[in-house]
Amino acid sequence: MRAFGEIWESNVFQKWLMAISGLLLVGFLLGHLSGNLLVFMGPDAINEYAHGLRTMLHGTAIWIVRFGLLGTFVLHITSAMKLSRRNREARPSRYNTVEHRASTLASRSMLYSGLLLLTYAVYHLAHFTWGVVHSEFYPKASPTGPESNGAEYIPDVYSMVVSSFQVHAISVAYVLAMIMVGLHLNHAIASAFQTLGVRNQRFVPVIRMVGPLLGILVAAGFSSVPLAILAGIVK
Amino acid sequence: MNLRLHIWRQSGPQDAGMLKTYDVANVSEHMSFLEMLDVLNEDLIAKGEVPVAFDHDCREGICGTCGMVINGRPHGPLARTTACQLHMRTFKDGDEIYIEPWRARAFPVIRDLVVDRGSFDRIIQKGGFVSVNTGNAQDGNTLPIPKTDADRAMDAAACIGCGACVAACPNASAMLFTAAKIGHLGSVPQGQAERSTRAMNMVLQMDAEGFGACTNHYECEAACPKGISADFIAQMNKDYVASVFAGRD
Ligand code: HEM
Ligand code: SF4
Ligand code: FES
Repeated sequence: MRAFGEIWESNVFQKWLMAISGLLLVGFLLGHLSGNLLVFMGPDAINEYAHGLRTMLHGTAIWIVRFGLLGTFVLHITSAMKLSRRNREARPSRYNTVEHRASTLASRSMLYSGLLLLTYAVYHLAHFTWGVVHSEFYPKASPTGPESNGAEYIPDVYSMVVSSFQVHAISVAYVLAMIMVGLHLNHAIASAFQTLGVRNQRFVPVIRMVGPLLGILVAAGFSSVPLAILAGIVK
Repeated sequence: MNLRLHIWRQSGPQDAGMLKTYDVANVSEHMSFLEMLDVLNEDLIAKGEVPVAFDHDCREGICGTCGMVINGRPHGPLARTTACQLHMRTFKDGDEIYIEPWRARAFPVIRDLVVDRGSFDRIIQKGGFVSVNTGNAQDGNTLPIPKTDADRAMDAAACIGCGACVAACPNASAMLFTAAKIGHLGSVPQGQAERSTRAMNMVLQMDAEGFGACTNHYECEAACPKGISADFIAQMNKDYVASVFAGRD
């Protein structure tokens, strides 16, 4: 019997890892989106939600999710990089002319949309999670001493979001990144079905529809927050 | 019609190779693409030059020997048509045509447009067969096979092993070819005994040959002269992972 290591390194197994981790990331995005949309229900809704996330299970829940996400990202990115490198090496000499018949802009730019997403994700964490860029908008640390007067302190995430997105450059970068997510998912969802072997002629039209639909839904959903803030609907 | 051809010339595996330009005159629209190249070659021989090497055998679209990338498309612009069945009426007077070999690490160029497709043979050797005892052939009706399964097996068996799928794939992946073989034998009862080991061994050989991995562009399906469906790739992915868990290898 072949060793596990040999199987793990095989192209099809790596593709499964990429597809499963990719779908988990899509699940995370949908959860994240549902949280973000609470902005439209006013400051209390989203502030309490954010506070709830950070204090659930005495603050351990968020760390479980964070480590899970980190692992998923690492798996997705390592398999994506490994396969992309092998795919490049499989064609050492280029064609003089290539006429594409079936591939799309989205399918050919997966590595690039993915790498841009990764870059954006780091900046995004630095902004909203770590508070190291645009720190002027970051909620103040919980007050200590006499002025805390025993009440539970809830950081004002709502104001952070609204004041950040009133800066045009921040909003534009965000919307561009969401277009990248849309582009990535446009190909990724249909691709994952194929990789996992869920495909026959009955499902093909459905699968072709789900990818672009979910891509647009996610891109539009996330973008609605900065756009509403810029339009003054949310303030 | 008169044509200007840009043809990849490479004197051997180690040569760097380059596109060279040739003019061919008085091409009849009834010629096949290969016959047009024959005319060019006779010209070259008469002039004392080395003719263009290209692969061909049946010239009726059934053997899978011919193959070249014509204007950026394996086997040329027509769907479900091999280069030998492509006729010059598809082109018009004054056209410029770029002709290149299949390009893949696993298909090294031997000379000009001829590539070594031995990697396909080695994939087949790893499981593209059914082992049966010799003796009298069994009565045809003792093995019931649903019509849909028989049709599916035939659809996959139509693969002629030409390699256009690899040539068309941006990743030079051989998954359509390999999936067609696995899908063909996996659709009929005779293929079940070795189904698990076949998927495992053929897929790993494909990796070892240095083919890329599928990223679901579906360029293969569009280029395949036999219209093999990428559904078979989904089936192969499933069979492979099933064989990982089955542990029969
Ligand atoms: C929120 C972030 C992300 C999500 C939701 C996501 C989702 C997905 C999904 C579902 C797939 C399909 C898997 C398959 O082909 O079977 C995929 C493929 C891929 N992803 Fe991501 N991904 C994300 C981030 C990234 C990052 C950061 C990279 C950077 C390296 C990346 C690179 C790729 C590549 C190269 C593919 C393969 C494309 C293909 O096979 O056609 N992705 N992604
Ligand atoms: S799958 Fe189609 S393109 Fe690929 S080798 Fe077989 S016949 Fe040729
Ligand atoms: S020469 Fe046989 S298929 Fe073209």
